Amino acid sequence: MSSRYNVGDRVTIREQFSIFYTRTQAYTRGRMGTVVQQFETGLIPEDEAYGNEDGRVEPFYKVRFRQADLWPEYSFPADTLETEFSESWLLPAREEP
Amino acid sequence: MSADHDHDHTPITASEEVSEFEILEVALRELAIERGLFSAEDHRRFKEWAESREPAGGSRLVAKAWVDPDFKARLLSDATAACPEVGIDWNQPTGEGTPSDYTFFHVLENTPEVHNVIVCTLCSCYPRPVLGMSPEWYRTPNYRRRIVRWPREVLAEFGLSISPETEIRVHDSNQKSRFMVMPMRPEGTEGWTEEQLAAIVTRDTMIGVALPDPNWTAAAAPSGAG
Amino acid sequence: MSQPADVARLKEQIAAIEPAIRTPLDGPYDITNDLFRTLMQIDHDLGGEPAVSVQYLEKEELDWELNVYVTCETLGWRHVWNSEERRRLGNCELGRTMYLGIPYYGRWILAVAMMLLDKHHITLPELTDKMDEVRARYEGRAA
Repeated sequence: MSSRYNVGDRVTIREQFSIFYTRTQAYTRGRMGTVVQQFETGLIPEDEAYGNEDGRVEPFYKVRFRQADLWPEYSFPADTLETEFSESWLLPAREEP
Repeated sequence: MSADHDHDHTPITASEEVSEFEILEVALRELAIERGLFSAEDHRRFKEWAESREPAGGSRLVAKAWVDPDFKARLLSDATAACPEVGIDWNQPTGEGTPSDYTFFHVLENTPEVHNVIVCTLCSCYPRPVLGMSPEWYRTPNYRRRIVRWPREVLAEFGLSISPETEIRVHDSNQKSRFMVMPMRPEGTEGWTEEQLAAIVTRDTMIGVALPDPNWTAAAAPSGAG
Repeated sequence: MSQPADVARLKEQIAAIEPAIRTPLDGPYDITNDLFRTLMQIDHDLGGEPAVSVQYLEKEELDWELNVYVTCETLGWRHVWNSEERRRLGNCELGRTMYLGIPYYGRWILAVAMMLLDKHHITLPELTDKMDEVRARYEGRAA
């Protein structure tokens, strides 16, 4: 399976409304980060959680965020947070002009 | 215990009430075995494997990486493949990994520029094959709520003060990857054997809430945050 | 002479009598979309919620807890379910009160029960009968 994103790409996390189950944290939605690793390809959790072995299979990526971009009051500019997403949760980042 | 036992029933004298969770577990396990979903032998084998997992596995990985630069490179490049060199096999006991820990293990190297710390905000995912069972506090809503947003405050409660110039990197393991921190080798350990080094690599140093201290051993390490 | 623990207990009691304005929900005819989204929030997604500093304690694992863990994993090993199903049931489908009120491994074993029932491996009467049988066994031991 070919993957859409490469290490170093800037991405934005989709803001899709989630219901019942997801492993894409609310604190990442709409936030911009950088792909730092591409991981294995596998069943997405929203399908695996229902035992849908025939569900969507996607590459997973680790994305790094600046903590100051995630939390309104975060005051240490060096700090970061990394977490993983299946590919369809990512969009190419829309950089501010 | 219920109060509706017969009048001539011997009164229940047990001082410890068996928990409803235990009753539920036994009932479900017996039904599952009766239905052929798994065998009692399966349960026994998995329990034996689970009970044998301990932080000493992770300590051996770190100590070996500290003394052997080639092993360190292998560990950082493909941690799952490097684990058998210290007797840990992520494929066991099922042959295809455990249902909850999978086989995608990564070691996070602390450097003077970066301090790593792990969490699973959604549940309590943890690298059991190398560290054993997670500490109780790691599973609590409190740790999961706070470490991603206030890591410096939480680390300070553990007695860890990280300089503002150092990047604290929090890893929220929300999918199948499992992480462990490789702390930096402290000064004052020159010439130590791997065994001596492993003794100061405690569970908490591999979660990222403590630093190895040459004056502590794994047997006498402080537990939890005050 | 009062101890720090006495002051701490007093402060807790004072905090417990703080007045609060509550909006009871008892089967409303309709709710706003905003309230819908709030109610439908997925319970396990706690990262970033405000919380006060508490003492982080160690706890020894009890026998029943280890057995719960092993039962869950053995069911996964034999492909009765996968761990993501366990997480959905035990971390997202209990409702907020049970999610925050039931102990950690209590939620794991509830997930097992829900799954075995949903997949028709057992029936509810079979389960409750078996629980009675197990409970009687323990009571027999205690006598």
